This record gives sequence, structure tokens and C-alpha cells, in this order.
Amino acid sequence: MPYLGGEETLRELRRALSNPHVQADPARYRGAVLRVIRLMAQGADVSGLFPEMVKAGAVPDVVQKKLVSFYVRAQAPLQPQLALLAVNSLRKDCAHPSPAVRGLALRTMCGLRMPGIQEYLQQPLVSGLRDKASYVRRAAVLGCAKMVKMQGDCEVDGALVNELYSLLRDQDPIVVVNCLRALEEILKKEGGVVINKPIAHHLLNRMPDLDQWGQSEVLTFLLRYKPRSEDELFDILNLLDSYLKSSSPSVVMAATKLFLVLAREYPDVQADVLVRVKGPLLSACTSESRELCFTALCHVRQILRSLPGHFSSHYKKFFCSYSEPHYIKCQKMEVLCELVNDENVQQVLEELKGYCTDVSVELAQGAIFAIANIARTYTEQCVGILTELLGLQQEHITSAVVRAFRDLAWLCPQCTDAVCQALPGCEDTIQDSEGKQALVWLLGTHGEKIPNAPYVLEDFVENVRSESFPAVKMELLTALLRLFLARPAECQDTLGRLLYFCIESLVSEGDKDVLEVHPDAPVSEEKELLEAHPDAGSLSLIPDVSLSAEQFERSWLSLDTSCQLCLPWAGPVHADTIQTALRVVHIHTIAMSRAGAQPWKAYLSAQDDSGCLFLTELLLQAADSELQVTVKQSEAKPEALQSFISALRTVLEAVAGLES
Amino acid sequence: MIGGLFIYNHKGEVLISRVYRDDIGRNAVDAFRVNVIHARQQVRSPVTNIARTSFFHVKRSNIWLAAVTKQNVNAAMVFEFLYKMCDVMTAYFGKISEENIKNNFVLIYELLDEILDFGYPQNSETGALKTFITQQGIKSQLQTKEEQSQITSQVTGQIGWRREGIKYRRNELFLDVLESVNLLMSPQGQVLSAHVSGRVVMKSYLSGMPECKFGMNDKIVIEKQGKGTADETGKSGKQSIAIDDCTFHQCVRLSKFDSERSISFIPPDGEFELMRYRTTKDIILPFRVIPLVREVGRTKLEVKVVIKSNFKPSLLAQKIEVRIPTPLNTSGVQVICMKGKAKYKASENAIVWKIKRMAGMKESQISAEIELLPTNDKKKWARPPISMNFEVPFAPSGLKVRYLKVFEPKLNYSDHDVIKWVSLQLHSEMSAWPLDAD
Repeated sequence: MPYLGGEETLRELRRALSNPHVQADPARYRGAVLRVIRLMAQGADVSGLFPEMVKAGAVPDVVQKKLVSFYVRAQAPLQPQLALLAVNSLRKDCAHPSPAVRGLALRTMCGLRMPGIQEYLQQPLVSGLRDKASYVRRAAVLGCAKMVKMQGDCEVDGALVNELYSLLRDQDPIVVVNCLRALEEILKKEGGVVINKPIAHHLLNRMPDLDQWGQSEVLTFLLRYKPRSEDELFDILNLLDSYLKSSSPSVVMAATKLFLVLAREYPDVQADVLVRVKGPLLSACTSESRELCFTALCHVRQILRSLPGHFSSHYKKFFCSYSEPHYIKCQKMEVLCELVNDENVQQVLEELKGYCTDVSVELAQGAIFAIANIARTYTEQCVGILTELLGLQQEHITSAVVRAFRDLAWLCPQCTDAVCQALPGCEDTIQDSEGKQALVWLLGTHGEKIPNAPYVLEDFVENVRSESFPAVKMELLTALLRLFLARPAECQDTLGRLLYFCIESLVSEGDKDVLEVHPDAPVSEEKELLEAHPDAGSLSLIPDVSLSAEQFERSWLSLDTSCQLCLPWAGPVHADTIQTALRVVHIHTIAMSRAGAQPWKAYLSAQDDSGCLFLTELLLQAADSELQVTVKQSEAKPEALQSFISALRTVLEAVAGLES
Repeated sequence: MIGGLFIYNHKGEVLISRVYRDDIGRNAVDAFRVNVIHARQQVRSPVTNIARTSFFHVKRSNIWLAAVTKQNVNAAMVFEFLYKMCDVMTAYFGKISEENIKNNFVLIYELLDEILDFGYPQNSETGALKTFITQQGIKSQLQTKEEQSQITSQVTGQIGWRREGIKYRRNELFLDVLESVNLLMSPQGQVLSAHVSGRVVMKSYLSGMPECKFGMNDKIVIEKQGKGTADETGKSGKQSIAIDDCTFHQCVRLSKFDSERSISFIPPDGEFELMRYRTTKDIILPFRVIPLVREVGRTKLEVKVVIKSNFKPSLLAQKIEVRIPTPLNTSGVQVICMKGKAKYKASENAIVWKIKRMAGMKESQISAEIELLPTNDKKKWARPPISMNFEVPFAPSGLKVRYLKVFEPKLNYSDHDVIKWVSLQLHSEMSAWPLDAD
């Protein structure tokens, strides 16, 4: 704590506070007290003035009492012994003729956070609860809650709880609400205040007297009440009807919640309520208070979730205006997405299109994703708009559009052709990681429909060294492998170079994540990949075969060789590379010699979906420049065998081409 | 409930911190500063959750007010409370600014102590608060017996927003109708959507406990009365307006409004907002704005804006101010206007065109040549909307004040003795740029 006051200032203040002349002049006395408070607020240590300040609190001036009250509350935890001094004069104040002083004294005493204060509190609080001024009763009721909170685990005094329950019938509305709040806190362990029939009905009758805070809180407490009969339920709903149209949005929202909960078993009533709060919610959505507007928009989104299309005819209310803050615009766009229907889709899309060119990057991208969201139902129009946006050649717009396209190609396969036509040319504009990933993915997955896909990817491979995002490199590897399976002739060379780069970086930089993460790519994608492979024919290998080394050996010895072939091979073997490459097509490695061992051997296994096992031996003699492959099959299926061999051959050739 | 209330300046320094509950620790103050005030990106939401603590914030000029809680509370209520807090502070010391807050910090702590107890909102009506909050240095030391009894009656009384025993020598009542038109136009000049949001603001300086009645040309009322006298319907049928929705100050008796559509109330003392309303149908647009933009090369822009007044020639619009935004890279502007004065204000990035007076059915235009600095920035200029400010002697929504009556049963002054001032002001914002340059 910075020591701003200095000894001198403190001494001077003490002198001033205890000077009888100053004490005689109320204005000067108050001025001195004010200086102490100012010092305290600045962080100075003014604890030394405690006795003088307590004495200053004994004057009739209420303002000065308040100032002293701040001081005492802040300092009491630091010096509990001295605080007892204050308690005495505060207890005297509790019997003061002015209700303002009594209330203040009660509040101050309850605010002293020091041990042992409870025994002094009990009596003033009980008499405070029975005070004739409602101001004091308000403070006393909440004081009970504070006291119980301070006591911690102690047993709750039953008499006090009963007293509070009876105060629910108090004539002052704020006392009533404070009682509810206090009981809720005191009885927290027993599940809070009990709302039985008489209490509920009493509260309902008092509702019109309460202020907006009280109303919305009472409505929340009423959530707990379960009406006994249908008649009672509808009586309650009728009584509360006017609160759905209250001027305060918080009351409207609390009332809506209560209606929805109470009418749990009457879906018609619930729907009716939602129709009726439409007006107040819409006016809150267009109100000038932004934060309330935001809250209302969140409610609208919640309602739309259970009643889609509820606000469709009011879609214009959710158009953004220029000066609105960012968060409201984002919420409004989300709402717009959800209330699109056949009639308004044109206007909504026009509007959203306008936002796509907004200066704020985040907002523009938000608008593009909103359009993409709508594209799930109105594909054609939206893809048209998105394609148009590509023409602007803005970095952030193109990136967002391509990302939107990627998701669309997943969700609505019918638009793949349109998407593919729009893609060429995008690669020059996109700079960020997310956008590049999306583009590469699209090129890999739908490469057969994009004539220049291999060449675009080739460019990426050429610049792969300067690529700063590992995620893009990963995506590139997967995409290129896919495209290779679809268009092998054009991609083989590029893939070879990429794999070479990967291995090189693996060796030199220890940049392992490129290769290590790759085998974990989603299984479904790989399945697709094999299915997309023209040579794979009827064969589809299942991703995990659990075959132990012993089982493998037994089967291997019992089976006859189905096929044997030789593949050209030069140089050493990179076991990891082969293993990884084979895993992509679901061929698993059972055992493998160390790299550089002579002769080098590997045993592989795979199983197709009909249960047929393929067991393979790879043998590389030192002198040979050939890899001998022996395949055994558990069932005689020549067609499947051919497919398996061609898949195996493709992979091995790719790896061999890479290593040469 | 609200566990604490913090007020920060624009740098994130804490000006006021008041913690009501022990579950809000000291670090909450810093958490909000680091995560919201000093955050790099734009504010994503007025509600922020940090470590299971919710922060609700409102910004007034460059002051942040944040309410903190650990409980699940009604968000709308917290925001309404913060607005109320701002209103109360404004009523006490004017504009909410860093300097004002620093100068009045004792008062603010005092207010916070009265408005919230243990985090629960208590009495928050400015009028009522004034009795038991004594502003520093203004009121003298001893509270008289009379004042003390006043508190008691105030605090127990049914009408929380007005204290008893108010006396004025001149009983005056001011009523302002403030409307703002929001308009969306297509490049072709068609009106896409328009709505008027209006406020009726009153200032009352009346003695005693006066009962006021306010009448306007609400469609439902006119039709109701029209049933009796058929002639009147013919005359006033056109002049009634359909209000989409409206909200009232708490002093208005809603039950009476629902049953009779009459707005009757006992007004708080001083300034307050009687009602807010919104209309979307049959809006009279006092002006039409037609902007034309032509890009001449990369460094020059020609802008022409025509405004047409669209009301009776006998009426006059006053204090017209048209604000035409210019691109950020503007280097120089030459303006020619037939009427009024126009100036390019570089600091505001706009051409401000002021016309003192303009009669109905007239036309006026301004043309400007804007020189641009060449930039590499490919980003398009966002084209903010043209905005207009003016005062006209009618309301675009068509709202008319039919009567404003005052009754005071106890003190002997009648409706005629009250001096009433009724005025209409209008601010309109129009978004009127065409979407594309050509």
C-alpha cells in the first residue's frame, strides 16, 4: 500500500479532529472527516485515526455519520479490538429518533467483518425488524442475511426465520422483497425460501406495488411454486398477464420464463405466450440501449430455437444499422440466418451481401458465414452470391468464402460442381492458414473436377519451405495423396517431392509433427480415399485388424503363396515412411527389420470387409535392387487379390520413387 | 445478485470499487480490466464470463461501469440497473466523466450504499433518493425535525417517485416530443424500411401531488370516441396514428391505459421520460435525400446531394444540418451550395452543410469535388450514411398532443394556472448511399 499521507498529515488530521473548536463547527468538522476518507480512498494508511473517527460519528449530522460509517467498515477487519468502540456508539445510534440514522447504524454494524460481532448484532436486529419505519426494517431484514452468512455453519435460529416469514406480510413492498432475498440466503442449505400456496397468492397480490427489481425477482421466486389445480394455474397466469407487456424488459423476460415453466404441460399456452411477447421483445431489440438490445436478441435466438420462423415476418427489424456496435450486428446476423424462409430469403441475402464488404474484417467474414449457413437450404442463390464475392479479390473475403465452400461441399454435395468452378484463381489471394487449408482440402478432395488442381498443389509444394503454418503442410500432404489416387500421372512427381521434403525436415529439423500427426487423420477420410481409388475395385480394407505376431506366424505357415512379384527398389529403406504410407490404405505392419539390416524383411497384414486376410512378406536382399513381395490369402478370391496387390504396388512404388 | 460494482476510466484505472459480497475477490477488478478493457479485439459482448464470474458492463463516453456477480442473474435486470445508476448519477452531477466521478466519489459511494444493499437493488428513484442523500457541501449540518418526518412518510408512502410537500411559485410543465427517423433507402431512392422511435420527455415543476392526464391521437382512442360521434371520425380518421408499441414510466397507471387508453399519472419532480413509442406505418418523411457519387479517376470523387422538403409550403423547417461523410484519404474539398453554408471538416471526415430555414416543397442542392490521396489500400470505403438534423413543426410519426391536463385536489390551483410548454423536436438519421459507385 503506497504511503501517501505521511506522518505529518496524519498528525495534523488528528489534531484537527480532536480540536474542540473544529468539533463545534459542523462544517469544519465534516471537512476534516472528508479529508480522512479521501486519503483512505487513495490508499493511505489512516488506521491510526480510528478513535477520533469513532468519536466523529457521534455527532447528530447524518452526512458525517455516513462518512464515518465508510471508514469504520473499511478499517474494522484490520483492528477488531478498536472496532468494539464503534459498536458501542452504533448501538446507541440504533435507538436514535431518526429512521435514517437507525437504518445506517444497522447497515454499518452488519457490514463490520470481524469475529464475535454476532452477539452484539442479535438484539438491534430483532428490534430493527419491528421498527415502525420501513427504511429500518429494510436494512434489518437484509442484516439478518448478512449475519447468518458471517456465522458460517452455525445452526439457523428458527425464531428469526419465523419472524422473517411473518414480515413477508409487511406493508412496505421493498421489505417484502428483501425478506424473500434474506430467507433465500439464510435457508440456502434447505433449498431456499419455501413458496407455499398462501405465500404465493400473497406475493401475486402485492406484485403491482413492487418496483421493477422487485417484480422481476418475485417472478423468479414464483418459479418454485407448483399450482395444485388447473384452475389455480390459469388464475395465476391471468393475474400475471399484464407483466408480459411491462415497460421494463427484465420484468417481461422474467414473466415469460415463469409462463413457460408454469404452463409446462400446455404447449398451446406456451406458444401463445411467445406470440404475445413478440412485441415487447421486438421493441427491446430496436431500443437505443445497446446492452438491453443485446440481451433481447439473445432471447430471440433462444425462442427461435424452439419456434423456428417465429419472427420471420419481422425480418427487417433485424437488419443492422450503421452505428450499432459489433456484438449487436453479429447477433442480428445469427438471427437473420434462423428466420429465413421462402418469402424473405431474397431480401435477407441482399442485406447480408451488403455486410460482406464491411470495413471490419470480422464482421465481413461473419456475414459470409451467415450466407453459407443459409446456403444449406437455399444452396443455389447463396453459392451465386459467394462466387460473386470472390471477384472482389479481397484477402479476408476470399479466405472466408473458400472456408464456407469447404463446409458446403461436405454438407450439400449437390453444389460441388458450382464450387469447383469458382475455385480457380483463389490461390493468389488467400494468405491465412485457415483459408489455405480449406482451399487445399477442396483441391484434394474434388481434384478430379478441377482441371488445374494438380498444378495449384504443385505451386504449394514448391513453396512449402517458406510455408509458415504446419497445419497447411499437413493438409497439403493429405490432399496430394488423395489427388494422387485420383489422378496418379499428374501427381506422382509432386507427391514424391513433398514426401521427400517431409522426411528431410523430419531428419534435419526434428519437425516431426508433419509426419507423426498424419497417420492419425480421420479414418473415414481414408476409407473414402480407398473407395475413390479406381484400382481398388470391390476391395475395401477394414481399418483395424487385431492380429498378434503369433497368429500371423501360424496363418503364414499354414497358407500357400497366392502371388509373388518383384518391384524395383534402390537405396536404403525408410521403415517409418513405408509404415505410414501403408497405414493410409489400411495395411498394417506386423514386424519389420531394423533399418539397414541385411537382408531387410517386413511382414504386413490386412483384412477386407468380408473377413479375408491378406498376409504379405517384403524381402530386400542386399545385392538386389529389387523388392520381393510375397502375398498369401486366407480365402481364394482372385479379384480381391488383384485389387490388394495393385493397392500395395501403388504405395510401394510411391515410396520407392520418393527415395530414389 | 450483484456482488460488486466497479467504475473504470478509459485506461482501465479503477475510479470506484464497491464490493457487496465476499465471494467477489480483489482480483475481479483486474480480471475485467485485462480481459475486456485492454483486450485487443472489439468488445464481443456486454456480458463477459471470466473464471465463473460474470461481468456486465455499460460504457458511457469513456467510462466503463461494470457489475460483477457469481450468481445466475437476470441479465436484463442488471443492465436496467446500470442504466438507472447512470441516470441517478447524471441527475446528481451532470455528465458522467472521469473528472466528475473523481470529484464526487464520496457522493457516489453514498449513492451506492443507498441504491444497493447486500447487492440487492433498493429504492432507486432520483426524486426519492434526494431526501436521504445530502449532497456534500450544499445542505447544512442538522436535519430538521420536518425533514426527518419527511423521510418516514417518503419511505412508507405508496408513491416512491415523488416526495410530498413540493411547492413552486410558478407551476410549470414542459413537454417535448423527440422523434428520430431511421430510414433505409435503396440506390434508386426507394424507401426500404423506415421506423420512427419517439420519446415524450417531461419536465414538471408542479406543487403538491398533481394528477396529470396526457392525450394523443392514438388510433384506438380516436376510433373508440368516433363510435359516439360519427362526424368526428370522418375528420380525424386520417390524423390518428397506429403505435406499434410503447412503454411508460412507472408513474403511469397501466391499468387505466389498458382499459381506457388514457395516460394518467402523478409525475416525478423534475425531468423524466414519460413514454417511448415506435411506429412503422404511414411515416411522413419531411425530407428526401438524393445522393449522387461519381468517381473521376482514382484520386477524385464528385458528390452531389439534393434535398427536397416534403411538407406544406406554409411550414418552415429550421436548423437543418446535413452531414456528408467523406473518405479517410480526402486531401481537399471544394464545395458549391446554392443555399446555406457548407464546410469540410477534416477532423470529422465530413462535409457539414447548414441551412437556417427552409420552406416546404422546396429543393436545394450541394455539389462537392473531393480530392483523394492515392493509396494502395484495396479496401473499399465503407460509405457511412448521410445524416440529417432538423426541427420541424410536426412529428413524422403523425403524433399530436391532444391535451395535457393537470388536477391537484388538495392545493388550489387549476389546470389554467399551469404554464405549459409543448415542443416537437426531430432528429433523423438516413442511410442513403447507393451500394455501388456507378
